[in-house]
Amino acid sequence: MLGKLLKYELKATGRTFMPIYAAMLIAAAVTKLISALTAGGSEVPEFISAIVYIMILMGMFVMTFVVMIQRFHKNLLSDEGYLMFTLPVEPWQHIVSKLLISVLWNLGSLVAAFLSIVILTFDEIANRALMLDLFAVIAEFLTIFGPTGSLVVLEIFLAGIATTVFGILLIYASIALGHLSNRHRTMASLGAFLGLTAFAQILFACLTLIPNVRVLQHYMDTLQESLQTSIVLFHYVMWFTIGFFTLLSAGYFLITNHILKKRLNLE
Amino acid sequence: MPWDLKPDRPIYTQLVEHIEWMILSGVYPPGSKLPSVRDLAKEASVNPNTMQRALAQLEEDRLIITHRTSGRSITEDSEMIQKARIRIAREQVSEFLEKMQKLGFDRKEILSIINNMIEEVGK
Amino acid sequence: MNAILECKGLTKSYGGKKALSDVNLTIERGRIVGLLGPNGSGKTTLIKLANALLTPTSGEIRIAGMEPGTGTKKIVSYLPERNYLSDWMRVHDIIGLFRDFYGDFRPDKAYDMLKRLNINPNDKLKTMSKGTKEKVQLILVMSRESELYLLDEPIGGVDPAARDYILETIISNYNPNATIIISTHLIADVEKVLDHAIFIRDGQVVLSSSVDAIREQGKSVDGLFREVFRC
Repeated sequence: MLGKLLKYELKATGRTFMPIYAAMLIAAAVTKLISALTAGGSEVPEFISAIVYIMILMGMFVMTFVVMIQRFHKNLLSDEGYLMFTLPVEPWQHIVSKLLISVLWNLGSLVAAFLSIVILTFDEIANRALMLDLFAVIAEFLTIFGPTGSLVVLEIFLAGIATTVFGILLIYASIALGHLSNRHRTMASLGAFLGLTAFAQILFACLTLIPNVRVLQHYMDTLQESLQTSIVLFHYVMWFTIGFFTLLSAGYFLITNHILKKRLNLE
Repeated sequence: MPWDLKPDRPIYTQLVEHIEWMILSGVYPPGSKLPSVRDLAKEASVNPNTMQRALAQLEEDRLIITHRTSGRSITEDSEMIQKARIRIAREQVSEFLEKMQKLGFDRKEILSIINNMIEEVGK
Repeated sequence: MNAILECKGLTKSYGGKKALSDVNLTIERGRIVGLLGPNGSGKTTLIKLANALLTPTSGEIRIAGMEPGTGTKKIVSYLPERNYLSDWMRVHDIIGLFRDFYGDFRPDKAYDMLKRLNINPNDKLKTMSKGTKEKVQLILVMSRESELYLLDEPIGGVDPAARDYILETIISNYNPNATIIISTHLIADVEKVLDHAIFIRDGQVVLSSSVDAIREQGKSVDGLFREVFRC
């Protein structure tokens, strides 16, 4: 059943994102083309094309955010909810399917943006010397970390996923909490959002400042002295971040699931 | 003949009457096969349960026969049919006489009116 | 146990208001039941509770012995009063969705009915009139071979010809193992099709009787309703 939900979620959202990605990549290509064709002449056409590209780029990130909210609110908590919640499917499956597809489009937007930049700079990329230098710098940066170098890439990736998932579930939980009120649901959702964010911040402060103070203090003091300890500190911070956001994500997931399962009240 | 069902009497009795009429007036000739319960219910726009009950009643009255494998058919027993015809005729006359009596007609007047009407209709 | 729907002391409150109050009902299989009452009487609340779209404040509701949830959703086919289909879908798409999620859905039945009503499966829902969308929803619901059908105001906003078609569809889909509950305030149109009538007012059941019993007293269900609910 989850697979089927994923399929429909993808279908429903793909029709928005694929055209945007295509438009953005085309805008990048067009800009590059204009730049090449008008080299040495007026810079205005290139400038205009670049502005269009940037607007589409920004639009794409905005849409990623808007669609995420819309899919949850419109598809589950308004009229379409009458269909969704009468399908023989557990509420958690609805949450997970939408979460996974939102993460997908978040990643997709980053990849698409990256590709558009590649298009814009491909002649510089073709410059072998420059690329070799770039890779050399990255490789050297990683070797600083010694044997744990490859771990860094994983940590950065996981941290990215954890914070993205956290952000999405934070929004879902806010919308779900807002749904509990009988009137002014939008206001209630905003209030819930502020509340949940504040809670996250306070929890973070409690966890980092109080128990870890001495540990951090110790490492901070020794920072200048040893490369080794700063590497440990880095990993520590990364895994703490991953753990913290995963924990909060789980909490917000449970809140959302409970509301959808036991406190649903479609108009 | 349209299924004209009145709102203030049980539906199944009206269904029984209607189907009886259809049988006795030759719309469903003796021995002919009856449509399925579902089709009849659709035609009459009624609940199939109700139609089922009406047919069960008619079966009890021996006007309809259920064959185990081939559905329902009208009886070929002409005596049965004749009996039913007479019964309905008597019901109609009884209703008529009641109304006539309420209007204050006596026997002679009633018979005279009937004879006149039969002649007129005959033309 | 032949009951498809059972309510015991079922109560639902919102804030201070009781939408349903201590409802006790047993509905047998194979019946076509009318859930009849004025707007705001609690009909829709009862139906939503049966669909697990709401949870009871107290008391219980059971479908085929189960608490409303994923298990009951497999055997319950629900037609809500509103349009619940995604506008961007084509009719083909929504039929595909029903086929994917409901084991008891019969696509061939759906396509037959669409043809009968001259609805093109390639059309986008967005381009259809409200009446046509309602017909599509009805077709989807009646193309499932479920144990319980819950129809909330199926003939409400529809023209008389469509009403006839809807009643005809309900009759044709009748099977002795399935139960159909029709919630409506348009009683005269639906009477002939009902086995049983439940009158509900202000969240309470005021009458539960077979239609025959009502008519044997020389009244139509509609007539009795008007008496009971006189303003």
